[in-house]
Amino acid sequence: MSCNASVTRLHLSSLRGAEKAPVHLMPCEIEHNGLAQVSQYFTATIKEHKTEKTVSFRGRGLKGQEISCPQGYTGLVLKEVDRHGSDQQDRTVKVSSVFDKLTYWNLETPPTSDDTVVMAMDWPELAEAIHGTVED
Amino acid sequence: MATKKKRTPNSQNDSWVVIAADSVINTQKHNSDPDFVRLRNPSTGEASLYMFGSGDVQLYEVKAFEEDFHSWFVGQTVQRDGKLLFVTPMDPLYLILPYMIHSSREGKFQPVNQVVKDEDFPESSRLLRCSCSLSALHNIADEKEVGSQKFHRYSQERTLNWLKKKVEKTVVALKKKNFCVGEGVKSTTYVRVKTESDNQDEDYLRYAHGLISEYISEELSKVLLKHLGLTELKSPNETEPPSKKRKLSDKPVEAGEDYTKFNSADFARKPPKKMTTAQKTLAKVDKTGMKPMSSFFSPKTKAEKK
Repeated sequence: MSCNASVTRLHLSSLRGAEKAPVHLMPCEIEHNGLAQVSQYFTATIKEHKTEKTVSFRGRGLKGQEISCPQGYTGLVLKEVDRHGSDQQDRTVKVSSVFDKLTYWNLETPPTSDDTVVMAMDWPELAEAIHGTVED
Repeated sequence: MATKKKRTPNSQNDSWVVIAADSVINTQKHNSDPDFVRLRNPSTGEASLYMFGSGDVQLYEVKAFEEDFHSWFVGQTVQRDGKLLFVTPMDPLYLILPYMIHSSREGKFQPVNQVVKDEDFPESSRLLRCSCSLSALHNIADEKEVGSQKFHRYSQERTLNWLKKKVEKTVVALKKKNFCVGEGVKSTTYVRVKTESDNQDEDYLRYAHGLISEYISEELSKVLLKHLGLTELKSPNETEPPSKKRKLSDKPVEAGEDYTKFNSADFARKPPKKMTTAQKTLAKVDKTGMKPMSSFFSPKTKAEKK
């Protein structure tokens, strides 16, 4: 059997138990996966002036902005569920958190509408044009 | 700390940040769960990641937006992998098309369920269950009805007309969004500023053609270009590098494409040379889908990108 036969199922029942989580896109790679005291050492030190947020992280000044998910879209954090012995092929992911907006952070530069992640939020609308049905 | 640390592979990643169409999680109508599946990418012929919504009614494309050196904070956790995945509705016809073209070599009308069969990608047959698949086949094929059964044969003419409408629709969306697609864009800080150039319409058309070309074969892309009344651009060196065009440059892992210029298929599949100045500003919407699923669920290596 081809390896392309395996599917990864998204367990939607997990959605009900998923909590809304604050989500930050950081302008650096953090070599860690797992718990961290984000609210104590990061979120608590965020300063806001109008829509622009600033924070110091590892001695660097970050400037950030909160952006919403595109209309008709929801933010999901998916997490793989441990595979069981009986399940060799297929995998399962569950929704561990949901979000409707995220905060992205730039290194030094103030956030603008031309920031990459802001531009990325336009993708669904473009995809709709590419994939929507055409008139006969 | 002063020396450049070698990054350790991110092997324990088991979590992904996703922005998904609401219909993915709308469980009102169906009881089954959505599936991430690997199907044959119509442009590259390689495995790509897609999703079937519950009941296979809707197909979705999975695209990764990624910049180097990014990580997530999600609640009270760190997620090292800074990718952002988009799950957007996709037209299944793009994926059915290569099978239709392939079967046309025999020149016969055939039942579509015999056409869309792929040993390497067994999940492909689910494409025909998508709500709009069967009713849209006339866009790419001639139809014949014998009794209660329908037979199809690939039609390039119909396909080109269909693709042309797709391109036109995309042009409208690009204009609406004020995407800068032309050569006037010199500075990355002004990507949304409109430039007044004589051939702006052509720029939009080429850009849209480039976007659509990501869902069709190189060969068909060339034919479509001609159908749109455009000529192939000779060399990408004559124009400015892709990195300056737009920050949301769409960069599949295998097919580093610049939609704005490299629509000439010869260049379309060449990865851009270097991402020097671009590194900071250029977003890499690479297609997770273009990688095998195994790599989607494991660390992304540099080798795959370059």
